[in-house]
Amino acid sequence: MEFDFSPVITYFPTLVKGIGATLLIGLVVGIMSIIGGQIVAVITLYTKKVVNWPLRFFIWLFMTTPLLLQLYFLYFGLGQWILIPAIVVGVLGLGFHYMAYNADIFIATIKSVSSGQYEASRSLGFGHLATLFYIILPQALYRAIPQLGNNMIIMVKDISVLSAIGIAELVYLSQYAISVTFRPFEFYITIAVIYYLINILMETGQSWVERRAATRR
Amino acid sequence: MDINLMIEIMPLLVKAAWVTIDISVRALFFGFFIASALVALRSSRTPPVRWLARSYISVVRGTPYFVQLLLVFYGGPAVGLRLDPFTCGVVVGAFNIGAYMSEAIRGAIISVDSGQNEASRSLGFGRFATLQHIVLPQAAGLMIRSVGVLAIILVKNSSLVSIISVVELTYQAQRLIGSTYKPLEVFSLSALMYIVIIYAVMGIVELLYRRATRYTYL
Amino acid sequence: MTQATNTPMVELKGVKKRFGDLEVLKGIDLKVDRGKIISIIGPSGSGKSTLLRSINNLEVIDEGSILLDGVQVNRPDLKGFAFERHINHIRQNMGMVFQHFNLFPHLSTLENVTLAPRKLKGMDARSARELGMELLERVGLVDKASVYPSSLSGGQKQRVAIARALAMRPKVMLFDEATSALDPELVEEVNQVMKSLAEEHMTMLIVTHEMGFARDVSDWAMFMDGGVVVEENTPDYLFSHPDEERTRHFLRKHLGSQAQPQGQS
Repeated sequence: MEFDFSPVITYFPTLVKGIGATLLIGLVVGIMSIIGGQIVAVITLYTKKVVNWPLRFFIWLFMTTPLLLQLYFLYFGLGQWILIPAIVVGVLGLGFHYMAYNADIFIATIKSVSSGQYEASRSLGFGHLATLFYIILPQALYRAIPQLGNNMIIMVKDISVLSAIGIAELVYLSQYAISVTFRPFEFYITIAVIYYLINILMETGQSWVERRAATRR
Repeated sequence: MDINLMIEIMPLLVKAAWVTIDISVRALFFGFFIASALVALRSSRTPPVRWLARSYISVVRGTPYFVQLLLVFYGGPAVGLRLDPFTCGVVVGAFNIGAYMSEAIRGAIISVDSGQNEASRSLGFGRFATLQHIVLPQAAGLMIRSVGVLAIILVKNSSLVSIISVVELTYQAQRLIGSTYKPLEVFSLSALMYIVIIYAVMGIVELLYRRATRYTYL
Repeated sequence: MTQATNTPMVELKGVKKRFGDLEVLKGIDLKVDRGKIISIIGPSGSGKSTLLRSINNLEVIDEGSILLDGVQVNRPDLKGFAFERHINHIRQNMGMVFQHFNLFPHLSTLENVTLAPRKLKGMDARSARELGMELLERVGLVDKASVYPSSLSGGQKQRVAIARALAMRPKVMLFDEATSALDPELVEEVNQVMKSLAEEHMTMLIVTHEMGFARDVSDWAMFMDGGVVVEENTPDYLFSHPDEERTRHFLRKHLGSQAQPQGQS
């Protein structure tokens, strides 16, 4: 066996494009799933059963079935009724998937804020909603940070799955290069290394954020 | 909802679900041995061995399972590793989950109070005997729960082997959506099967947990 | 707005409160004049904390009425949003200090103090900061303005909590066992702050286990047991020769050991 990494060098611009796409998707999905997760959690906790039961059902459904199955359903399923670009399906699919996971965390951390916090805020004259926004949600967010970080690290790895529905991220673009150069081993090793580096960066960032958040809990 | 269609495709999906179960159970079985080996290597007295085990775990956890699968299946032949799709799914699944599981097992062992270890050693038990008779029985409950979580992840991850054309549940679902043009029916049925499998795993884990913690009063 | 000076600051008339089948307040009458300090003592489960929390409407009373400076606090006639608006406004005029501090852990010490004036009174950031620093100065914690509650001692937390309550310029301060959760050596620093408030003639209701402090600082003392006021008098009279046997019994048990760090109610 002999390895030849020169095609990887040749296609380096393609890989850089793929890294950019992967990171951009990660950013959009990250923001969407964290903000959306909070909104879903609040609606789930503070509304009547008619509203929150369907939400609880969807959170549960997204958490008990595989991401790829959900993506296929959205991609081939929705594709029959409306024409949506794959990238939108991919971002929405991944976004909803992790929104469910994040909502599940937020529901737990919102519940974990003590009733004393609520009483202290109300005794100052804050109303129910103001208490939720100024006191409960910020604390729930700080408490959720370790688990949110884990979810986001897993999410970035799952972006690779989007190649299955033809989204031009790192893996998909490399597969194009592989089909031309016939060097799968070299390319997949390179992708693994790139992902590993991204992962290390994210873990470093996570522990930095966690250390900062720990003083506010 | 087209009920007739759902009845019609049922046998195909059930068959595919068996492949999902088959691949997951095998990966879990081998993964457990890989995990145990990694735990042992991580507590080795030789630093390079510990370092190697740690690096392996770090790399596996730090890269996507999907990329690992593609690397072994498509890149494997370049290093003389030719696996059929099903075997490839089992092998990569086992090596992947093994890394995560070793962390879960180690975590459960560490969670046992260090005084237990000291008490046992002071009685004259050796390292291994202490692990076997004193630490593991106490760590078993937590270990079973966290391995259970990993088993569920393993089942969901097994959907990715559809990419290397193993005809498991997700592969079959995708094919049926393409041929029947009834995504909702196909999705509902295949989602239901995943849910049944996952709840079965949860049930088994709960049973094992109760057995393992029979004697602990916590 | 301020009423005629002869209106009591806080007035309770026949207040009753039930938790399920258990009646914890069995008709309480109480008048607190402007600038006066009332201590409420009594065994655990006597209803003294419930009484204090009722004044802030943290417990909703079943019967009777509560007035703050002539304005009715409990308003069974108001429902939903209207009541919310009413009670939020009322509460801005009352400062409440809790046994377990309940500082907001996600906000710095200064932000804990300034949050309410900024968001509820629309105070601008600079004036709020000035006010906050002034209040932290009063409780002796200017140097801790930018730290988060997790790094404060219990005594420091409670002093910040008092500053936070004062930031809304309340007409009355309610102390619900403010020193009961503190280690004995930290009690005094909080007592000092409360004494300084007393010297400035802040109207205060103090539920406490600290007999010595109650005797020192208050103008009037009440002994509660089983949901009723058993006896009330000037602190000197109540603590030295109470009329009722229940009061004597309670005081015998508590005067010997004044520091009750684990006291709950």
